[in-house]
Amino acid sequence: MSRRAALWLLVLAVAQGLPRRATAQALPDLRIEAGYARVRQAGPDAGPDTDAALIGVLWRRPTESWTFLANANVTYGRNDLAAAQGVAAFSVPWRIDERLRTEGGIAGAQFSLRGAGAGGNTNGFVRQHLVTAAGGAWLGGGIGRTSRDSRTSFSNVSDLGIWGRHRFLYGSVSFARQESSDFVLLTAAGAPSDPSASRYVIDDLEFVVEARGGPHSLALSWVSRRGISATTMRAVAFSTSGILQLTDRFALTATAGRQLADAMRGLPQADLATAALRVSLGPKPLPVMQRSAIARASIEPRPGGGGDLVVRVFASDTMLIEVAGDFSEWKPLPLHREEGFLVARVRLQPGKYRVAVRANLGPWRAPRNLARVRDDFGGEAGLLVIP
Amino acid sequence: MSMNRVVSSLVALALAGVSASAAFAQGPAVLPIADVKARQAVEREISRAAAKGLPTQPLISKAMEGVTKQASGERIHSAVASQARRLEQARDLLAPSPTVAELVAGADALVVGVPASMLKQIRAAWPRQSVAMPLDVLTELVARGVPAKHALKQITTLMVAGATPTQIAGVGASVQSDVASGLAPDAALEVRARGVMSLLPSPAAQALLAPSSRGPRAPR
Repeated sequence: MSRRAALWLLVLAVAQGLPRRATAQALPDLRIEAGYARVRQAGPDAGPDTDAALIGVLWRRPTESWTFLANANVTYGRNDLAAAQGVAAFSVPWRIDERLRTEGGIAGAQFSLRGAGAGGNTNGFVRQHLVTAAGGAWLGGGIGRTSRDSRTSFSNVSDLGIWGRHRFLYGSVSFARQESSDFVLLTAAGAPSDPSASRYVIDDLEFVVEARGGPHSLALSWVSRRGISATTMRAVAFSTSGILQLTDRFALTATAGRQLADAMRGLPQADLATAALRVSLGPKPLPVMQRSAIARASIEPRPGGGGDLVVRVFASDTMLIEVAGDFSEWKPLPLHREEGFLVARVRLQPGKYRVAVRANLGPWRAPRNLARVRDDFGGEAGLLVIP
Repeated sequence: MSMNRVVSSLVALALAGVSASAAFAQGPAVLPIADVKARQAVEREISRAAAKGLPTQPLISKAMEGVTKQASGERIHSAVASQARRLEQARDLLAPSPTVAELVAGADALVVGVPASMLKQIRAAWPRQSVAMPLDVLTELVARGVPAKHALKQITTLMVAGATPTQIAGVGASVQSDVASGLAPDAALEVRARGVMSLLPSPAAQALLAPSSRGPRAPR
């Protein structure tokens, strides 16, 4: 594997990994990311740092029974590389138990490198998840094929892991075993190998800790690698990544640290630093900074009894505002815009009602002007009595 | 982090957000609770309540609230069970034959901290009329921070004096308006209750208007 080819593959992987911090949201999602990467290859043949530009598009389409995700990237380094890559993945919850989810995906890449030939990589994976509110586990595997200038290698990986959550902290521990005939990766990383062996085996133990605050996140990863067969390599890698949401639609993403070689995708080991700007273009913006909005409720009595509950929310067009109450069986009410406010209006008969508002999938709150009561779910609701 | 793990994590996160809506398509239409075991437990809770003669709609509404608020299945079950207990308690306190509206009002009053004995006092003030609205207003006032004793005194005074449910509800609405204007809730209640009292006929006038009536006057 040439140094340049290895570099572009590495940059490509970073670009593909940038949007990984998406949070749960049952909305279609379209994002564009553009950024810069600086890459330094590891090992005895490491050359000077390489600069590259990254452009990526991510589309996620959730439905009531499955979620589909597609991601495409173009990477360009002047005089060095030009490449395109795509990945498609799906996830399906089981009908018998929503905690069980099966996911799978395929990825492909084609590249043409100035002075380094042409080639590509294809890989696929299947994984089974157990997901609960406070933690989960997974078990899965994948296979990959990498070719460059008529040289072909095959790899496979099996991995399992557990994760847990405590308040805003998420942590995971995972183990992965890779088996591959791609000895070029070992050489590029400066690892010793048995030249007579047809395949080598390596084990990875990875710890990840992530702090999330609304749409912001900061993750730290530590990986220990050990050769099991046909190589005696030992390596440790530390990396960090983060997302800073600037506005409803714009966010900064960054990564820094060491990426160990990934045989399934033909990615070499390298030290890297990236920064990118993410723009959300979907019908609804992605999780945003503002997780609350000023909502005021008023009651407009009607002659003969009953009245209109009017909830006015000061919010921009890009915010996702939901108003719901027991009068609507807690289904969100339609909102319309009136003089800069998003307004929900509902006619009610005399009686007592509860209503709550939330912004951008944040916590449900009682609108101002109403009495606040506990809601049995750790939150609150507004209480009103219509005369 | 390897590529497939990145993608799988992303998709898993995405699925967490749509689990409730996915369950809506796959589970019973009445209770779209994602957790099958929790859904069955909630359904059993509702069946038990129905067997006891309690209304089920408030329990379904509580479950729907939990679904909308993306509460866990366990939490929804717990909330529904708590609501059922409160309804049962309210039935005992508002005996002998409370309506559904009264049961719901009584259960909600207990949630905000209205003492059980006060439900009995409300019933005693209006033994033959619906106390749903007075209880609702009492609940709202207590939720606003008016001391329960003070709120109860004002409301029962209005009830005994012959105020209608609409007039009592009007007191609550007026207090809400006053509080929004900056007045303390208990002070607003005092003023508004006196205002309604001034519109009610005196006990002597009541006797003349309804000489054959016994006990509190029927609402107008």
